[in-house]
Amino acid sequence: MGATNMVKTLSKGEVSVSELIDRPWITIVWDDPVNLMNYVTHVFIKLFGFSKERAHELMLQVHNEGRAVVSSGTREEMERDVQRLHEHGLWATLQRDDKI
Amino acid sequence: MSNFEKVGDGYSLDLTLDEAQILINLVEQLLELLGEGDFFHHYDSSDPLAQLLAMPAEIVTPDDPVLLRLLPNAYADPEAASDFRRYTEPQLRGAKQKNLRLVREQLTVLVDENLGGVIEDLDSDIWLKAINDLRIALSIRLEINETSFETFELLPDEDPQKSVYAVYFWLGWLQENLLELLL
Repeated sequence: MGATNMVKTLSKGEVSVSELIDRPWITIVWDDPVNLMNYVTHVFIKLFGFSKERAHELMLQVHNEGRAVVSSGTREEMERDVQRLHEHGLWATLQRDDKI
Repeated sequence: MSNFEKVGDGYSLDLTLDEAQILINLVEQLLELLGEGDFFHHYDSSDPLAQLLAMPAEIVTPDDPVLLRLLPNAYADPEAASDFRRYTEPQLRGAKQKNLRLVREQLTVLVDENLGGVIEDLDSDIWLKAINDLRIALSIRLEINETSFETFELLPDEDPQKSVYAVYFWLGWLQENLLELLL
């Protein structure tokens, strides 16, 4: 039964093995009551080269929703991003993207 | 009142002697907490491979909440977090120490002369990061949350915490002042 389901799923193209393998890693910035809004915006522009508008939008997402995904890519790239965010005092973690 | 100013391509900061002394004290305390100098005492080097590579076998997750906030876990999974910490924490700790030492060096000049004055040609990036780390450290000790400004305003003047709050909010004002010049 499991096998049938899997074939069915794969034939629908919902999940494939290669997608699972390529599923990217993401960097998440979490809200805290300390970092100034302007500071978070400044750090996003500096580290990720976002436009002022995009950086502002992501900062507001962190502030209002408690978290925002700021980058995605390989695990190594995300580890680098998290380290740079920690150097700037932002609270960041990385994980596999849980959206398929 | 202290102030950052843009001077040509650089930035300067005008501080009174009292302000410079407050900042130096905070910087010294944070450097002490970060373990100025030898932070290798965290390492358990019983692992022969780690010894060979001069890598720590393990770096313990900090107990102190200030250190845990400044050197946070990169993963929700404890094992992945611990592994990441082992390879990256010394560098992160070192970067924070370096910023604080540079700030201390510039502040020391003002304090040694027993005068306030202007720090010329400061590195805005280093100052921003250092002030931010000081604010984070104070915020953990004060348990800052969204309503802390009201808490501060309601504290009686004789409450010893009042001055700590005042320093925390002053640092926020100072950082905002520098950010306005940068953004």
